[in-house]
Amino acid sequence: MISAYNLVKRFNGNIAVNNVSLNVDKGNIFGLLGPNAAGKTTVIRMLCGIIKNDEGDVKINNMSVNKAKTDFGYVAQHFGQYEELSVWENLKFYASMYDVHDKEHLNSLLDRYNLTPYKNKRAGLLSGGYQRRLALVCALAHDPKVLFLDEPTAGIDPVTRKLLWDDFYRLSTEGKTLFVTTHYMEEAQRCTQLAFLSQGKVVAEGTPVTIKDALGEVHVYSSQTAYRPDIHKALHNLPGMILVNQFGNELRIVVEPTLTQSILQETMNSLLCDNCSVELVEPNLEDVFIALTQSTSE
Amino acid sequence: MIAAIVKKELLQLRRDPRLIGLIIVMPIIMLVLFGMALKLEPKNVRMAYFDEDHSIFTNLIKTSLWSDGYFDLYQVNSTEGIVEEIRAGRAKAGFHVKKTFSAELIENEQPHVTFYVDGTMPSLTTAMKYHSGSATDAGVTNGMYFSDADSKNIVIADEPFIMDTVILFNPDEKETWFFLPGVIGVLIMQIALILTGITVVREREKRTLEQLLVTPLSKTTFIIGKLIPYIFIALLDFYFILGAGWLLFDLPQPTSHFLMFVLAFIYVAVMISLGLLISLFAKTQQQAMFLAIFIIVPSILLSGFIFPLEAIPESIRPISNIIPFTFFADIIRGLLVKHTLFIDLLSSYLALTSFAVVFTVASIIKFRKTL
Repeated sequence: MISAYNLVKRFNGNIAVNNVSLNVDKGNIFGLLGPNAAGKTTVIRMLCGIIKNDEGDVKINNMSVNKAKTDFGYVAQHFGQYEELSVWENLKFYASMYDVHDKEHLNSLLDRYNLTPYKNKRAGLLSGGYQRRLALVCALAHDPKVLFLDEPTAGIDPVTRKLLWDDFYRLSTEGKTLFVTTHYMEEAQRCTQLAFLSQGKVVAEGTPVTIKDALGEVHVYSSQTAYRPDIHKALHNLPGMILVNQFGNELRIVVEPTLTQSILQETMNSLLCDNCSVELVEPNLEDVFIALTQSTSE
Repeated sequence: MIAAIVKKELLQLRRDPRLIGLIIVMPIIMLVLFGMALKLEPKNVRMAYFDEDHSIFTNLIKTSLWSDGYFDLYQVNSTEGIVEEIRAGRAKAGFHVKKTFSAELIENEQPHVTFYVDGTMPSLTTAMKYHSGSATDAGVTNGMYFSDADSKNIVIADEPFIMDTVILFNPDEKETWFFLPGVIGVLIMQIALILTGITVVREREKRTLEQLLVTPLSKTTFIIGKLIPYIFIALLDFYFILGAGWLLFDLPQPTSHFLMFVLAFIYVAVMISLGLLISLFAKTQQQAMFLAIFIIVPSILLSGFIFPLEAIPESIRPISNIIPFTFFADIIRGLLVKHTLFIDLLSSYLALTSFAVVFTVASIIKFRKTL
């Protein structure tokens, strides 16, 4: 449904997107994952045709972007509807851009996203969550086949985030293809297909399960230990250490296989009086995310 | 804390290179331009004459008017011709010498010469009246005293002939009649440029442009859709200001309300499309404002609105001709004060129309469907 071949984009000579190729099949929820400044927004904007790619080609529904404009909708990262217009006026405006004038359809969209009570409220006065819903509704007015969402739940509370994702699944079961950029692991976990972008390059691809293989042969250990700078420092200095990451009282360590459990155990015990346990665990997306970001930026 | 704010503001300004450019380049351009252009001495003012006498004396008068470079003389065939030339704007002044001039001069009967000046531009009128005085300089008139060779010098009239000045179109030299029509144009220019000047930049800054660009909307539709509402609003404003002029300052009625409407429409379209073009060039609202001022100030000073075009040196004159307001000022004075015929205003109407077309097409070309 969405195909990108060898996309390249430079800004003032600096390469922002470096030879990115993607392929998203119909009905998928595709997550483009990556740290800030990885080029996620540039990629999604090129796919939508609002930034011209320097090299490469984009096809949506087997058509060039400009011919496929009625086939996709786009929700930008920042609220981009008209603050001075009401919810209803905004929706009608965007619908008109696609020559859609079916009031019943538009009203049902408002209903579906619980916007009906705010129909006559100025968009600028809505809370962040409702502004996001309005943006989504405006992008869906023409019933597109593909929906591009640039960080759709950035700054959104978990409850609204869940509601939005429930809806993304519903849209995908209706046959729509969703393309989402994110740096939230929780969000990445919900996608059916993932690509990891770092410094303008795709460094890993797969499902949330298989993408972990991108790390290669690594071991992930977990230990119930409170944060101690000296422990972090000591662990960092071990040969074969990839990542030390603290989550509250949990310490997660990603290492190369050469760095064994016993070495880790020894290092920690030398600094901590009590015997702490270091257990081998399954890598999660967060480990993958940070380790990949680190390894590609080195 | 104040120092921190001051420093932050300066840093922000320094990092907007376009703005720095405008702050530095704009005053320099303006200073040079106005230093060269703004003179109150008119030159080569076109003057139509009708000489029925064809004598050496009238030649003396013509030479004296011409030789200082103030007047650029050409001949017409009737007094009506002089008035028509001035009405059409081809001449700003004229003079008429009657057939009996030489005869009366010889008889010491103090013949009259009629000097016509365009009254629509009081500063020019004053200057013209002053410079026409050269026709009665001693050098000219010395040879015009006639006396019998035998008799002793007798006291004759102070001046051999008398110059009557007829002020056309604005006989009372009302400054408001001169300024007000132009002021309407200046106000519309300001409103239009500032109103439209920010319209696209604002969409860019508010990020609504991004959402708009993904839609199938075409460039032409976008530009035309942007122009129409502002043209309508500015047109209403035009008539609002004109109405106030009529009510408060007793501004005369135009020769044709239809032509007035056509003028209003075209002028407003020019200014709105120019504003849109500014909006497409500027990256921030601040830059748009600067660009608008950059256009408004020279428009006021170089259009013949305050300073007569005749006082602007030839080298700067092409700039006056690319200022739409020049043509507006010409037409509206013609319609309200001079009652110029449409045929004589046609070229100015066409010039204004082409500005509107050029600015609109340029906007369509300049507008990119990418961020």
